Amino acid sequence: MLGYVSWRDVLKKLTLAVTMQRPVSSLPLSPGMKLKLVGAGFQSTADLILLKPLQLSKETGLSQQEALEVLQAVRKDGGGGEGSTSLTALELLQKEEETRSIITFSSQLDAALGGGLPVGKTTEICGAPGVGKTQLCLQLAVDVQVPQCFGGVGGQVIYIDTEGSFLLQRVIDVATAAVRHCSLLVEDDEQRAAMMTFTMETILSNIFLVRCHDYVELLAELHLLPDFLSDHPRTRLLVIDSVAFPFRRFDDLSQRTRLLQGLAQQLVAMATRHQVAVVITNQMTTRLQGNQSQLVPALGEGWGHAPTIRLLLQWAGSRRLASIFKSPGNVDATVQYRITSDGFRDADQSEQPQRKRPRTQTDQSASSQPDRRLLRCLSDV
Amino acid sequence: MNWNQLELNPRIAATARRALKSVREVLCVSGPDLQRLTGLSRSDVQQLLAAAAAACRRHPPVPALLLHGGQCRRFESGLRLSVGCPILDRLLRGGLPVGGVTELAGESGAGKTQLALQLCLSVQYPQQHGGLDSGAVYICTEDSFPIRRLQQLIREQSSLRLDVPPSLINRLQFSDHVYIEHAADLDSLQVCLSQRVPLLLARGLVRLLVVDSVAALFRSEFLTDDWLERNKQLLTLSSTLHHLSQEFTTPVLCINQVTDVFNSLDDSLGPPSSGLSPALGLAWANQVMVRLMMQRLQGTITRGNQSSSLRRLEVVFAPHLARDGQDAAVWREGVRGVDR
Repeated sequence: MLGYVSWRDVLKKLTLAVTMQRPVSSLPLSPGMKLKLVGAGFQSTADLILLKPLQLSKETGLSQQEALEVLQAVRKDGGGGEGSTSLTALELLQKEEETRSIITFSSQLDAALGGGLPVGKTTEICGAPGVGKTQLCLQLAVDVQVPQCFGGVGGQVIYIDTEGSFLLQRVIDVATAAVRHCSLLVEDDEQRAAMMTFTMETILSNIFLVRCHDYVELLAELHLLPDFLSDHPRTRLLVIDSVAFPFRRFDDLSQRTRLLQGLAQQLVAMATRHQVAVVITNQMTTRLQGNQSQLVPALGEGWGHAPTIRLLLQWAGSRRLASIFKSPGNVDATVQYRITSDGFRDADQSEQPQRKRPRTQTDQSASSQPDRRLLRCLSDV
Repeated sequence: MNWNQLELNPRIAATARRALKSVREVLCVSGPDLQRLTGLSRSDVQQLLAAAAAACRRHPPVPALLLHGGQCRRFESGLRLSVGCPILDRLLRGGLPVGGVTELAGESGAGKTQLALQLCLSVQYPQQHGGLDSGAVYICTEDSFPIRRLQQLIREQSSLRLDVPPSLINRLQFSDHVYIEHAADLDSLQVCLSQRVPLLLARGLVRLLVVDSVAALFRSEFLTDDWLERNKQLLTLSSTLHHLSQEFTTPVLCINQVTDVFNSLDDSLGPPSSGLSPALGLAWANQVMVRLMMQRLQGTITRGNQSSSLRRLEVVFAPHLARDGQDAAVWREGVRGVDR
């Protein structure tokens, strides 16, 4: 009986098991029952967990009593583990839509990212020195605090500074400008009340700063971070500026790779478990290929697989460009931005480079423009 | 870091101590590997990691508001080292930041050494006059130290620093507090930076470190094939400088030379000022917090019986400064900004 099947029905059936699954054959049931289950196509406990006894008995030919027994065995088995929730794809989609993004105050970049930097994911920002990585980080540290009635996330931020570039003078500039920007947008009483909690002082009080002088201090801080995040559930952003600096001078490269992989795993786990956006900045380095040298993100090729989104900030003449070159949900795009006394903003010219192209396409033209070469070699990495 | 300082069950600490070289190493090994190396259970290893992390971490997260009030002494409190001229200080929003490496690049004769000498004097003033109440150590790597020029600058301080009462200027013994070192190659520079300089810093005798110049050391010693070795040495040097700067909240000024830009790859480091780019490439640029450039412009400027060719001090990048520049001139009393 094939009726109208909507995409929601499809997603409902798509069960995502987030825990360990046991095969059906390992359940404490009689062999006859197990045979019927396997015969009907049920291979593991995950397949059974959301079914009702009536559905199960219909599909397998078991009696209702037997179906109930099966489900009890499955539930008893899978109910002990922590975090053993299975979600349907529909529930996951709804959860993703609810999760807000952190705006950057550059509407072009926010649009290209689908709203802003996503909470719950890791984003890497790479670029040459002076192009604006720290500026974007400082902007995000202020923007994450924009109250929800203004379209922000209203969260706190923990900022790990390894280079010493978190200068209060600049943070105050950015914070004051953001407060000014929001106060101009006030339309109703709710927003007016929210502005009382969004002042330069409250912004500074919601930025938790850590200074790490070497990679061991960074690893120590990351180890203790889950406790901090549990104590401060309003934290929605973790910034590490930069992750490259303490790792550049490393004698044992295999140890460095191992440490970075562990670090990446910890960051991903923290991002999802505590619903924070993780932003890390990376430096650029030159890679020699034969006679040619290319500018690539530092920390090795393996590191590139860790973050969900990769943003490349680069110069093109006197213009600053931000390119998204790895993003599962968005098409790769390039926008122009500028750094003003107020912070990270859109470029004021209406001229934007038309560079919206799918990720699989590689630019073969031998262009003298550095940004195309960079994007091409990055898509090879 | 002492094993005894760990807040840990002594049994676990003793077991870990036998297997690992130091407390720091605990954090560099993964959980399962720690279990394997020490033979401890999973929960014991978790306790060990937590204790090691708590010991290795310098301080817990601090709200930035506390920095604003100056309540956190170990943090950057907005302290800046004045250059000695209010117009140039305006460009730099106060002066050099005290925790980080500032680079001053430019062609020869642009005025870099002049500015560095001026800073060696301005650091000696009290904090309310933009100084740090301490001396300076000046490391020369190529030419001999311009002692005559320093003496001339000292004599003319009262003409430069009109904001400071003359009685105070007369009381300061400037030449006593400028420590001059010579380092002809990288090895002797590393020795100087790991022995003599930390001693001066720890005793509070100096609060400014000048290296004039960085490029000279790397030009002569390495051929183009030794590129990797050169980068490694560069990172070691910058790491030492950075560490000294952070440890003693001392501004570090590195003077650098420039090269011509003819390779389009160099565009990626930003729009070059007048076709010149600081030497030592990307590896060095990544380690520098504030990059300034000094150029010689066409034209001269006269004032009374003195004349000077026009200079320009530019901010190439800095976390707290806009890309901007300021015209300047070099007079008998020092470098002064010029409002045209």
